Amino acid sequence: MNEGAQESVDGQDAHAARNRVGRPGFLTSSVRVFDFTLSEMLWSRRTIFMALVAGGPVALALLLRAFASFAWLDFEGRVDGSSLEVTGPAIFGLMIWAFYLRFTVPVLGVFYGTALIADEVEDKTLTYLFTRPISRGAVLFGKYLAYLVCTNLVVLPSVVLVFFIVVPMSGNIGASFPSLVVDLGLLGLGIAVYGSIFALIGAWFKHPLLTGLVFVFGWEPIGTVVPGYMKNLTVAYYLQGLVPHAMPQDGSMGMVRTVLQAFQAAPSISFNLFWLSVILVVTLLGATRIVANKEYVLEQ
Amino acid sequence: MKTPVVSVQAVSKWYGQVIGLNDVTVDISSGIIGLLGPNGAGKSTFMKLVAGQLKPSKGTVNVFGQPIWGNSMAYADMGYAPDQDAFYERMTGLEWVTALARLSGLDESAATKAAARALSSVALSDVSGKRIGAYSKGMRQRVKLAQALAHDPRLLLLDEPLAGMDPIGRRRTIKLIREWAQAGKTIVVSSHVLHEIELLTPNILLINNGRILAEGNVHRIRELIDQHPHRVHVRAAAPRVVAQAFLEYPHVISLELEEGAVVVETSRPDEFYTQLTDLAASGSVGLIDEVTSPDDNLQAVFEYLVEQ
Repeated sequence: MNEGAQESVDGQDAHAARNRVGRPGFLTSSVRVFDFTLSEMLWSRRTIFMALVAGGPVALALLLRAFASFAWLDFEGRVDGSSLEVTGPAIFGLMIWAFYLRFTVPVLGVFYGTALIADEVEDKTLTYLFTRPISRGAVLFGKYLAYLVCTNLVVLPSVVLVFFIVVPMSGNIGASFPSLVVDLGLLGLGIAVYGSIFALIGAWFKHPLLTGLVFVFGWEPIGTVVPGYMKNLTVAYYLQGLVPHAMPQDGSMGMVRTVLQAFQAAPSISFNLFWLSVILVVTLLGATRIVANKEYVLEQ
Repeated sequence: MKTPVVSVQAVSKWYGQVIGLNDVTVDISSGIIGLLGPNGAGKSTFMKLVAGQLKPSKGTVNVFGQPIWGNSMAYADMGYAPDQDAFYERMTGLEWVTALARLSGLDESAATKAAARALSSVALSDVSGKRIGAYSKGMRQRVKLAQALAHDPRLLLLDEPLAGMDPIGRRRTIKLIREWAQAGKTIVVSSHVLHEIELLTPNILLINNGRILAEGNVHRIRELIDQHPHRVHVRAAAPRVVAQAFLEYPHVISLELEEGAVVVETSRPDEFYTQLTDLAASGSVGLIDEVTSPDDNLQAVFEYLVEQ
């Protein structure tokens, strides 16, 4: 048999294999795109940036622990005449809110979420994904799944490290552990919701990174402090409502509550979870719809 | 009447104020069709429209009787090798082609086999485990062909597939494309080098300034192009030695040495390319890395055609 004829027979095998399997469904396609892009995403230069951002709180925690060990910092004080000790669990709770939920998670969401499609456009590799018998929405969703795994793999270990560094300072790891689990879940949710919003922004806007940064550092901080209904249009508002439940209930909570007064008016957990879920689903559906209908002109 | 594999009806495409394709109507049925035109003529726009990567501003593009825009089902039977030199550089050739074959609907084991087969057919088996980032220009062109071929599509769209290949790789690829056509595939190949297209097929579409100028047999164009000297840029390890060998060819009009390359002007491109391939295969002048042809000679022919 000559080479050409062999190719033809082999080609029939490929045809038969494809016909046997059929067109992959949305989820199967998404999982295949996820497989395809995860390692590319994980080993990109952006991951170094992500590791630096997630490593910041760990460095701070180490610093605090060192100060506490050498008694360079006094963690006791007086508020309204009564003594107050700032414990490790309280500091950890504060770090979860201030460093992770208000900074790390949205910033990573901006840089990764907006790049899900934009990177493929910039690298001119989108064509290879968009000339396959799978929906474009599945391409976006598969890449979104890769984003979730990638960011969680970097952020969550950083949180666990901070927990084990900070909590033992006048705290009990065993007693605080359930709150760590809740915090990890909360961060996972934050990563998912911010990622979906920035996936939408990435699919929609011509300069998604800039738009995303305006959202994180403009809209969100302003929206949460302006009285009225504007806060309902921010993710931070709904995440805020979940934070106090993730915090340790010890004697030092009074100070943390004072710092985070906004939480007092927060609605119920189910209300927050419901709206976060709505934001997640609506923005993801919106992003897949935009990607499905948008024409991407790759610059020559 | 048999439905054409590709049907482009009154299609125009604008990029803002710039026109990419202007009122093009063409039906493509089977065999190899060569899309010939200088850079910026609208070849890639045509290819991207047929590949469903661009939406026509006006008109319709059907593939297998169905509109291609927004119709991902059609890609089960279409393979597209775009002109851009873009890859997932960290992946190996085998990983990349396998992953794309999986996205084309093949299961894991079938995709791995199909990818290995496609890489073997473009003579990349020995480097299939190497990262694409380490591939030469010719290898990158061939791995692009492998990903388009792996799922055994009926329609292949190959945008400048021979650009930057070495003479031997070029000859092998031309042979392969012809074999694929003999096996029943419909293949649209674009190029700005008449000689390449001529070796593949006598059926050409001449395109310039977004318009199809002529459709059909290549011979008249051949007569015209022969009136213009043909320039070829040859990158080689030892350009002086290569230039010395070229001096013995009577059809060579001029030679110009550049850093790592020699630019030849010839009155008989057919003869030159054949001799160049033989020269590269003999190994007597060292390694010849890349052969490219600037399109100024073709541009001159098009200008002449437009004037007619």
